[in-house]
Amino acid sequence: MNALRVTWLFFKVGVLNELQYRVNFVVQLFQSAIALTVGLVVLALVYSHTDELNGWSQPELVCVLGIQILMGGAIKTYIQPNMTRLIDDVREGKLDYALTKPEDAQVLVSVREVRIWQVVDLVSGSIVLGVGLSEISTGVGALDALAFAGALLLGGVMIYCFWLVIATVSFWVVNMWTVVELFDGVFQTGRWPVGIYPGWLRYSVTFLVPIAFAVTVPAEAVTSRLDWQTLVLAVGFAAVLFTFTRWFWRYGLRNYTGASA
Amino acid sequence: MEHAVRVAELRKTFDVAEREPGLKESVKSLIRRRTREVKAVDAISFDIASGEVVGFLGPNGAGKTTTLKMLSGLLYPTDGEARVLGHIPSKRERDFLRRITLVMGNRNQLQWDLPALDSYELNRAIYRIPREDFAPTRDELIELLDVGDLVRKPVRQLSLGERMKVEIVGSLLHRPQVLFLDAPTIGLDVTMQKRIRSFVADYNQRYGATVLLTSHYMADVEALCQRVIVIHHGSILFDGRLAELARTFTAHKTIEVALADGVRDLSAYGEITQRDGDVVTIRVPKVETARVTARLLAEQEVLDLNVEDPPIEDVIELVFAQERPEQRQE
Ligand SMILES: Nc1ncnc2c1ncn2[C@@H]1O[C@H](COP(=O)(O)OP(=O)(O)OP(=O)(O)O)[C@@H](O)[C@H]1O
Ligand SMILES: [Mg+2]
Repeated sequence: MNALRVTWLFFKVGVLNELQYRVNFVVQLFQSAIALTVGLVVLALVYSHTDELNGWSQPELVCVLGIQILMGGAIKTYIQPNMTRLIDDVREGKLDYALTKPEDAQVLVSVREVRIWQVVDLVSGSIVLGVGLSEISTGVGALDALAFAGALLLGGVMIYCFWLVIATVSFWVVNMWTVVELFDGVFQTGRWPVGIYPGWLRYSVTFLVPIAFAVTVPAEAVTSRLDWQTLVLAVGFAAVLFTFTRWFWRYGLRNYTGASA
Repeated sequence: MEHAVRVAELRKTFDVAEREPGLKESVKSLIRRRTREVKAVDAISFDIASGEVVGFLGPNGAGKTTTLKMLSGLLYPTDGEARVLGHIPSKRERDFLRRITLVMGNRNQLQWDLPALDSYELNRAIYRIPREDFAPTRDELIELLDVGDLVRKPVRQLSLGERMKVEIVGSLLHRPQVLFLDAPTIGLDVTMQKRIRSFVADYNQRYGATVLLTSHYMADVEALCQRVIVIHHGSILFDGRLAELARTFTAHKTIEVALADGVRDLSAYGEITQRDGDVVTIRVPKVETARVTARLLAEQEVLDLNVEDPPIEDVIELVFAQERPEQRQE
């Protein structure tokens, strides 16, 4: 598949680019450390008052936190930088060159950027998840692990779709930046299992912004509470969302007018 | 003759939001957006034979870039038909995109922080250029444009002209058969302009490529294009040989005379536009050229006499100064 080859090359070029800005690594370390500390302190505070939250024990919630950091890292390594660049390019009319290339335009706009220093979050998220798991007495079965990997992947796909839809809207609406900033805030809701939220919010962060699928569902898998219906729902929703997104993107392209130059 | 480009009644209109400046007006426009239609390209038609180099001329805002973008599949035409190499550009088929290139003088497509060579590798993958073709083509282009050292420097460290040259190498690695060059020499010094010009001519010769080129520098057009298409307010005003352009658009000719007895007042013959030592330039209406020439020869002691079309710059200025045709007024 040529798309994969192109993706891989862009990845390499992206890494080369990032290596020129090593300072970013230190900044990233710092940011991640702060975010992680805050997360853990809040957890400790909550569990100093109670033993369980909506059926989740403290180590289980540490797992949720770990997955949220992990997923956040993946989003910020790949999805977000590409989509914010897309929004910028559309506004400044710089998408032109991506569209003259004999490669699927959706693939191209999705792989041009990579923020490799965000790997810090991928690593620290994995460690937090590991720590949480080690404190859960029951352990993780092979099936759970498989379901976890699948749920994580599906969640990633859905978040990607969400972002691409937002970015595509910028073909018509110039200022999508407020939405972009909003995402960071909304994504913090993923720190807690969505079950603790009131109905309207729960539905919003499940189907509007698929954070529940990206964080809570994988966490359910890894803590052996995922039922097969949820997994099927995740597969179905991901497929529908992906198909819609692709259609919407193509529709948006027809409306691309670029900037005058 | 086979046609590389066919354009029939092609149109593009943009809806542009319009509002008065000021806070009050912005609030108003939130509620009711007023839009205006801009006819950027208004039913143009032309054909370009394969291997031809055509100059696409027009003042700022004439619709040149918009046309090139439609021909390279970036913009969907509002109406009409375009075909390039038999393909409909807006379908953006791979086979089509692999055979064309679009170079825009005011944009760059190379990775900013990396040497151009890295970006070339990316293009190799995107265009699926076999390795055994890639290296020779790349090296040949690098040599033709003499950028051997430049392609190893991060692009951001290159000057405007240097960057243009490495950009051009990057956009020709896949050896496109049709080149859309949008102001490729914009902002470059005279030497660099010449360099790019001779390169384009060379590429056209070597590969028999078709070139549609816009430029605001007449020297580019005179050096490269046998044929020009003039577009203004989105409509085609002229399509033909460069020399024809002067004949169609100017009602005047210039007569250069050198007199044996030096300085004399010749204003009785026509408008004196220049006096350069003993040589006087007179501007006369085209229909009177023969009569004035005859009179001059009969009445003066003429050493040398030349009848010429006005310089191309003047012709173009005249063409561009044309009013928007009546039927297009909104
Ligand atoms: N994306 C756009 N949205 C709205 N109007 C546009 C857009 N692109 C171009 N236009 C308008 O269309 C007209 C033609 O623009 P175009 O860029 O094709 O001109 P041009 O001939 O390339 O001019 P120049 O020589 O200055 O590059 C202009 O009036 C311009 O304002
Ligand atoms: Mg232009």
